[in-house]
Amino acid sequence: MSEMWINMGPQHPMTHGLWNLRVKIDGEMILDVDPEMGYLHRGIEKISEDRHYNEVVTLMDRCCYVAGFAWEHLYILASEGALHIQPPERAEYLRVLCDEFQRIGSHIMWYAAFVQDLGLMSPFLYGMRDRDLVLDLFQSYTGARMTYEYMRVGGVRSDLPPGFTDRARQVLDWLTQRYEEYDQLCLGSTIFRKRCDDLGTLKAADCVAHGVTGPMLRAAGMKRDLRRDRPYAVYPQLDFDVAVADGADVTARYLVRMEELRQSVRILRQVVDWLDRHPGPVMAEQLPRWLGAPYAPVGAEGYLLKRNFPKGVGFSSVEEPHGEAQAYVVNEGGEHPYRVKFRSPVFANISAARQYLVGYHVADIPPIMGSVDVCVGEVDR
Amino acid sequence: MSEVEAKPKANENPILFVARPMATAARQFARSLVRPSTIVYPFERLEDPKFRGQVAVAPGKPIGLGEVWDNYRGVHALNIETCISCNLCAFSCPDLCIDMVTVPGGDPKHPKKCPQIDYGKCSYCGFCSDACPEGCLTMTTRYELSVTKRADMVYSPQRLNEVFRTRLPMSPIRLARPANEDSILLDPPLCIGCNACSRDCPTECITMLDIPKPEAKPGEKFPKRIWKEPVINDSDCVRCGTCISVCPKECLFWGTRK
Repeated sequence: MSEMWINMGPQHPMTHGLWNLRVKIDGEMILDVDPEMGYLHRGIEKISEDRHYNEVVTLMDRCCYVAGFAWEHLYILASEGALHIQPPERAEYLRVLCDEFQRIGSHIMWYAAFVQDLGLMSPFLYGMRDRDLVLDLFQSYTGARMTYEYMRVGGVRSDLPPGFTDRARQVLDWLTQRYEEYDQLCLGSTIFRKRCDDLGTLKAADCVAHGVTGPMLRAAGMKRDLRRDRPYAVYPQLDFDVAVADGADVTARYLVRMEELRQSVRILRQVVDWLDRHPGPVMAEQLPRWLGAPYAPVGAEGYLLKRNFPKGVGFSSVEEPHGEAQAYVVNEGGEHPYRVKFRSPVFANISAARQYLVGYHVADIPPIMGSVDVCVGEVDR
Repeated sequence: MSEVEAKPKANENPILFVARPMATAARQFARSLVRPSTIVYPFERLEDPKFRGQVAVAPGKPIGLGEVWDNYRGVHALNIETCISCNLCAFSCPDLCIDMVTVPGGDPKHPKKCPQIDYGKCSYCGFCSDACPEGCLTMTTRYELSVTKRADMVYSPQRLNEVFRTRLPMSPIRLARPANEDSILLDPPLCIGCNACSRDCPTECITMLDIPKPEAKPGEKFPKRIWKEPVINDSDCVRCGTCISVCPKECLFWGTRK
């Protein structure tokens, strides 16, 4: 008996969360893989049906612990579509500020975890140190480091504190210097290059066939970024490039993420300058009472129906740090959403594991799966 | 549009093989002696005055943003004296961890109720302090909460008031509210003039005014009611909705006043 199935997970450093990768091996060779998800299912979509529109935001932060803002933005965009509410422009810029800082935080977190998967410890420490600055910035205007609860239907919770933009610029300067160091540590190391080149190849056609999006798709040479292709918020007014690499391997995914870190800095400099020049309201002028943050009782159900609040459905798609996330919110006229559905990019990315794992060695699994950037909180929701 | 440049050729020199990354690491180590990035937690704290006002990357300072600590959402502080028992914190809690319990100080008809928070359930979202119309429930920077019994995680109003008395820095974040908020409107034909809304209003902004009793036509029978109607003072109203929830006839509702 030369072939056997082994379980990598649900408790394994490779998984970065709680999921199980069943691997069929013959000696060192991977013959087949079978990803199993669902260990972290919390029923967020169902719980959302019993909450006020704004209260769902607290769940969105728990969807992905490194990209909470991206999920908040996703849900809020869909809800505003369903409720026919237009936020003020400053609130949209603030959301983009959150999104891009979150992308930096998420990619640095990915860098730290991925390089540690390869067995290198010091890049992990540098990555976590620099991510902490981003978290400090988040704390300075939301009050929390990971569960922000900042975005609201119709705007955001509060405006930036005084002096924020100066601090943000200093952090951006600091991060720009650190990116060079990251590249020296990884791309300058022959060990890293020998480990990662031509590993876990997933061509663009396979990506499209399996719904793989985000940095994995762009690493395969396809220039697909929702910020440019289906712009939301104020991205059309911002100047940035889509990072593309053509290698479709682990190194290409590294290059794409590093370029995205630099592009995020470029976007953030424009956003911070805009925020400096344009003070204004951060919450919509008129909101129905039960959409304000203090949820007073709204009275009998009959009154909601009598008031004839417009119904609607909202759909949004957001370029999350991991890929294309989508949300669908149905508003049947009540104080709670009637139905909420999310599409997680990481779910598709790890579902295609058979395509980029079979044929490599068992020891290649941690770098390959590390390059996918798995966040199980959003896979299972 | 930027294409990421082609991958440089892997360096095959056996000495540079490991020397380059190690040089970066050594540079970092030397820098960390001048500018440490760690705060030795139980002995030093981020909220210490000596870390205040230091911007991220000033030379000779630890890396970090010391001046953001005041905004932290930690344990709540409750000022019992200014609490008006409006229930808004309990209504707005997504985790249902706030109970309104009676505290001494109210008159028998109006028992004073203040929030009691179960920190075993609390997710520190800050919705309650956003909702508080009087600013008496705020969040502080206290975050060390470990206890040995589950019952100790429930903070009574008196205990929250003790947190308030320690005068920790409180979160200066205030909610951005919509400019035109909905008001409470009355559906006059349904009202029976029962005075329940006026009696329970925490800000006493509802006055019962007499309304004229219409002349009865022959054969017509009026509903049995008191000939009074509530008039709501919008500037005093905190929009807590207590009147809506106590109204027996469901004749009060949210809406835009014309």
